[in-house]
Amino acid sequence: MKRTSAKSKAAPIAGQQIAVVRTSKRRFYGYGIPNVDLNRLAGKLIVVEGADGSGRSTQIARLRDWLEGCGHATVQVGLKRSTLVSEELDQAQNGNILSHTTLSLFYATDFADQLENIILPALKAGFMVLADRYIYTLMARDLVRGMDEAWIKNVYGIAVVPDAVFYLNVSPEQLIQRNFAKKHALDYWESGMDLGLSREMFDSFLKYQGLMADQFKRLQSIYGFNIVNGDRSPDEINAELQRKIEAVLNGK
Amino acid sequence: MTKTFAQLNFPGRLIAVEGLDGSGKSTQIYLLKRWLELQGLKVFFSEWNSSELVKSATSKGKKRELLTPTTFSLIHATDFADRYERQLVPLLRAGYIVLCDRYIFTAFARDTVRGCPPEWVRGLYDFAAHPDLTFFFKAQLEVSLQRILDGRPQLKYFEAGMDMRLSPDPYESFRIFQGRILEQYLGMSTEFNFTVMDANQPVETQQSIVRELIADRIDLTSYAANNPGHRK
Repeated sequence: MKRTSAKSKAAPIAGQQIAVVRTSKRRFYGYGIPNVDLNRLAGKLIVVEGADGSGRSTQIARLRDWLEGCGHATVQVGLKRSTLVSEELDQAQNGNILSHTTLSLFYATDFADQLENIILPALKAGFMVLADRYIYTLMARDLVRGMDEAWIKNVYGIAVVPDAVFYLNVSPEQLIQRNFAKKHALDYWESGMDLGLSREMFDSFLKYQGLMADQFKRLQSIYGFNIVNGDRSPDEINAELQRKIEAVLNGK
Repeated sequence: MTKTFAQLNFPGRLIAVEGLDGSGKSTQIYLLKRWLELQGLKVFFSEWNSSELVKSATSKGKKRELLTPTTFSLIHATDFADRYERQLVPLLRAGYIVLCDRYIFTAFARDTVRGCPPEWVRGLYDFAAHPDLTFFFKAQLEVSLQRILDGRPQLKYFEAGMDMRLSPDPYESFRIFQGRILEQYLGMSTEFNFTVMDANQPVETQQSIVRELIADRIDLTSYAANNPGHRK
């Protein structure tokens, strides 16, 4: 499925030199994963964050086309995609029977499984890893639910610091419209219905996404990721992402 | 959190047993449970790694050898959190005596031996209050090993610590692994105020010491099943 946009940068023509990515200094946010040699992680980790309906998947699909067109091997990861616990996590969420700490640790397990089995090996092999959300969404969700920040930071201290993080910022009102345009329904969890903010899903969605956006702003001031105005057209957003990623690939 | 449930003013009390596989701790906590419930007290027993919800993921991970030290640690923390938040805390609020066959110290010992940073592991379990009483059943390593190896000679992969590549022989691996866990337990004993039990003594001798200590530390009459749980 190739859908390279006319406006995205043209892939290099045959014979043209494919730029080799510069390696950068790597670190973990906290204690990290035991027995990992950070100096051997030559690839790049690029994260796109944003709520459902913020255009994440569209942007990631385009970035993948663009990167592969440029001759870079890519791999994608996302939340709740681990072999280890994704099924169980789904079941638990459908029944909504997990308490906050449990759900939080379940997600952390899912993340750790992908980190160790996909992200780190891919980086080691020099791949571009495109992450459809990373620890920040998980942290923001926990923070909105009143979990202890120091505890959350310790848990996600296992994460490797990405090379670039983009947060697609879309107003809650826009998100509602996009979610309805796509599937004519709001998701229970994306509406924060477990929090009892409102009995009406519509109101709850607006309130919850507002709270999430506040937490993202706070996390941005700590982790310094790029806030991208997601209310613009997909082409405009992609052009901005490409420009910034190019700088990262060239070692800034 | 380093406070006990009593220090946090819970009406209930939590008693934990820790020790190597084969140290006889499960027998002791079972006898303790029988003693308490035969007196008509409100008792609940909880076992390590027993949350229904998390179980299928854990057993899949173990069966297919998918677990790394980090995911091994996280999935056990998930299991513990589920039991802690849905059972232990509500029951302790309701004035139960909760008996735990293994508590957070099991994770502190095992995960550290597997190579997880000790501070990280302790941080994971920071949401949990400490037991009001922790019995550590200290047996000679050879005695514990013999009990396990006599009973069920088919050692499981993670149980034997095979994931750490200590030895290609499961029995040898198990010996080394258990030896290291024992060292961890001994190192924690003072820090976490373990009541150390000589697990080489007869079952009955150990049980009378356990019962005596509990009767001494906990006002058992206030845990009668007809008591609504409001202690002065």
